[in-house]
Amino acid sequence: MAIPRFTRRAILGALAAAVLAPAFAQDAPVRIGYAIARTGPWSAGAQVTQEPNYIMWAEQVNARGGLDVKGKKRKVELVSLDDRSDMETVVRSYEKLMASDKVDLILPPWGTGANFAVMPLAQKHGYPMLSPTATGRKLLGMKNPYFFALLQQPDVMMTALAEFLKARGAKTAAVVYVDELFGLEQTAGLEAALKEKGIQIIEKKSYPLGVKDLQPVLNDIKSKRPDAFIALSYPPDTFLITGQSKAIGFNPKLFYTAVGAAFPVYRDKFGPTAEGVMGLGTWNPKTSPAAKAYFDAHVARWKKEPDRWASAHAWAGLQILEQAVAKAGLDRKALRDTIARSEFDTLIGKVRFRNGENVSTPGVVSQWQGGEFEVVWPPQNATSPAFYPKPDWK
Amino acid sequence: MAFWFELVATGLITGGIYALVALGLNLQYGLMRIMNISHGEFLMLGAYLTWLGHTVLQVNPLAFLPVVALALFLVGVAVYWLCFARIIHTAPAVEVIEARSLLVGFGLMFLVQNAAYLAWGADLRGYSYLAEPVDLGGARFMANRLVVFAFAVGASLALLAVLRWTLIGKAVRAMMQSPTGAQLVGIDTRVLHPVVFGLGLAMAGIAGGLLSMVYEISPGMGEPYTVTALIVIVLGGLGSAAGCLLGGMLLGLVEAFGMHFTSPSLKMLLSYAVLIGVLLARPKGLFAR
Amino acid sequence: MMTLRDSILATLLAALALSAMPWLLSAFALSLTLTCLMYAGLAVSWAMFCGATNYLSLATAAFFGMGAYVTAWGAEALPYGVAVLLGGLVAAAFAALVGAAVLHLRGAYFAVITFGLGELVRHAITYYEKSYAGTVGRVISAPPEAATIYHTVLLLSALAVVTALAVRASRLGLALRGIGADEERARTLGVNTRRAKVLAFSLSAFFAGALGAAMAMRWTYIDPLSVFNPFIGFQTVLIAMVGGAHTILGPIASAVLFSLLTEFLRLQFPYLFLIMLGFLLILLVLYLPGGLASLFARWRWRKSNA
Repeated sequence: MAIPRFTRRAILGALAAAVLAPAFAQDAPVRIGYAIARTGPWSAGAQVTQEPNYIMWAEQVNARGGLDVKGKKRKVELVSLDDRSDMETVVRSYEKLMASDKVDLILPPWGTGANFAVMPLAQKHGYPMLSPTATGRKLLGMKNPYFFALLQQPDVMMTALAEFLKARGAKTAAVVYVDELFGLEQTAGLEAALKEKGIQIIEKKSYPLGVKDLQPVLNDIKSKRPDAFIALSYPPDTFLITGQSKAIGFNPKLFYTAVGAAFPVYRDKFGPTAEGVMGLGTWNPKTSPAAKAYFDAHVARWKKEPDRWASAHAWAGLQILEQAVAKAGLDRKALRDTIARSEFDTLIGKVRFRNGENVSTPGVVSQWQGGEFEVVWPPQNATSPAFYPKPDWK
Repeated sequence: MAFWFELVATGLITGGIYALVALGLNLQYGLMRIMNISHGEFLMLGAYLTWLGHTVLQVNPLAFLPVVALALFLVGVAVYWLCFARIIHTAPAVEVIEARSLLVGFGLMFLVQNAAYLAWGADLRGYSYLAEPVDLGGARFMANRLVVFAFAVGASLALLAVLRWTLIGKAVRAMMQSPTGAQLVGIDTRVLHPVVFGLGLAMAGIAGGLLSMVYEISPGMGEPYTVTALIVIVLGGLGSAAGCLLGGMLLGLVEAFGMHFTSPSLKMLLSYAVLIGVLLARPKGLFAR
Repeated sequence: MMTLRDSILATLLAALALSAMPWLLSAFALSLTLTCLMYAGLAVSWAMFCGATNYLSLATAAFFGMGAYVTAWGAEALPYGVAVLLGGLVAAAFAALVGAAVLHLRGAYFAVITFGLGELVRHAITYYEKSYAGTVGRVISAPPEAATIYHTVLLLSALAVVTALAVRASRLGLALRGIGADEERARTLGVNTRRAKVLAFSLSAFFAGALGAAMAMRWTYIDPLSVFNPFIGFQTVLIAMVGGAHTILGPIASAVLFSLLTEFLRLQFPYLFLIMLGFLLILLVLYLPGGLASLFARWRWRKSNA
């Protein structure tokens, strides 16, 4: 019996598809999943430092033809969810991404707490995570082989600050800090570092997140005349402390605030007032040509600047992922090993991990000078010498 | 001496804002038993509007406040008609109004807050206005805080005056005392309710605008103020406008002194302890009728 | 109306059926079921007290958080089951203590005070942890298996339903309903309103605390802000009231529906879902004020009158 025409076509079609399938299969995208805060208290940080970088990176990679997977280029497809700054939603989202959707790779959420929650899942399902917004010895103490912290640890940043103070002959310091894990760990690191350098802490006070008025505390500290004032603060309080210190005319030789000092909105709000304020930073467009390229691309894409601290770490993490996948492909165990054992070239310089900690990026001190957050210490990383003592409030 | 003056002033300034926010909510609750838990979201809208007016239209934020107040008033009337009117007319008992308006309030909170996240993103925004120090009585204050205080107290007193001396104010107080009696005398709740609701939101909007001059704004900024407003209302006595004003000031002072004598970390603890203490002694609040 | 015995039996059978889920569902579907169960337990225990008495309690967040911290502190020393039980007991004891002081308040006063409790306990714990333990969050280094957590939550929720059924049929339930209808009259009729209220308040707190203790293990890292999340309290109240706080089936159905709907919307509309949720909620309250339970009642009425 002759094979009917349409069946013949069907068989030919099927054969053709089977032969050509491998050629089409290489177009299957690499699915990269993440949950991030788009609403809720974590979103202010997440939407400045992390998600814009994730999206921009995927776009850039795809514009170059795709992610290099051991020589073969494949498009990147982002699978993203809003975690609403809620722990349960974070956990459930990653369970879905890892166990049900079985994405190829994941990117971490924002903040120490959320990263803590995802770590056990990452280990259980074998997904390496490169975290740019999680810091703390507690995290590293979990010894999770799939977790890599990009940010400089509290003791590293605080030691840099202490060294700067010692080099400039400061004798006394006053500290205020926010009642969060971040504030506590930074303070612990600072206390140890200052003690080692022989600098005396003459006042130490803490306050809750979202406090509306610290003038009495600042007045008190002003009357004690410390050489250095160090606020280990989060964004709303960073702004508050700056504004109120100016109001009461509190101008110590060193004025240092923590998270938020590196945000562009800090400079935009305070204008010339920000001059001389020091804080947690790592880079600026002058640190390297790659940094400038990144900065320009970010501004062009998002009409806003990246922040001068963790934005770069987020980008570096993506660069590391890209380089590691090119070498090891999508076998996540091999990927993890590659990340753990290699040295990478990134925006913030060379990065190498030891026991999950980025041990290559040094602790630095940055300072607002003429509208840019310059790196001022240590000298070998500085983009500009420091103003010390701090000029008077403008 | 200057130190104590500054401490008291600090407390009063913070308290002034609390009072203003609470007054708006008090109007809505006192008159209609509407628990508008989304009140803070409209404060946030007022803040964003003022910020837009200042950064985009280059208008002086203080001058823009009346615009913000009007806009929020109109929004309030619309919100009342769309969301709350039906509850007031169909509910069989007062507790039911409270319960249902609470739920609708939640819905509004989700809606407004997330619309703001969508429209403006989660980033903190801010601008500098009158951020100059001013010397007063030996103590130093930021000019913008003094301005905020003056306006907050001014708006509160204006509202109190309206309630006491104008016809509309008398109508509102009549409604609060006896809804049926007021209607018998010819006061039209269908007109009064949306107007009062709108007035309440307008006050929240003004408060938001004033706050934007001093603090950074973000879509989530409203919730803590709703909570504080509820505390102040309960502290001062539900339905009492003067109680609101005094309760707000008291809370501000408690916070300022508490933070100084103990530690800023205990601020909320003290506020709630005071609240619980007051309610134990006077279950209807300090100035309840 | 089913008899008490039949209702309890139905609950236990449902629980038995649900206990097989860890072996049938994917990890994600199991998490979703877990959330449904948690909110069902929270909503039913909330309605047990607040539905009958018409009190508006926002204290769920306080009890939940306390239970979570009992786990956080005791995780190293205590076995899981004991920690959960202890979490419930601590919350119940706290409720009894506080209840004796504040349960004479009503309406908005009571609501604000109970909301304040959550914040109060959160700040107290933060202060204590910071000053004496030198830390803010706690890490749970050896969390139990997902299936264990699931079964614990299932057990607690089933227990909450059974308790609610039993209370409703008992004299305590009668007393509570009397208080809800007219507290003065109940008192003149000889009901010890104070004792009834404190008892029921503590009972509902027990479940909130135990559920908090059970769920905390899932998150590995416990800090005051996430476990004393006022949203948990709001959502419980929302679910119970939307379902119909005077019933038992209403809050359960509402918990399942709400959790599934939220998740569905979140996955389908990653940017708009909360706006849609708010919108739906408003529509629901305005046009179905009796809650889901009223739908059910209406359907039954129609059937019996057909």
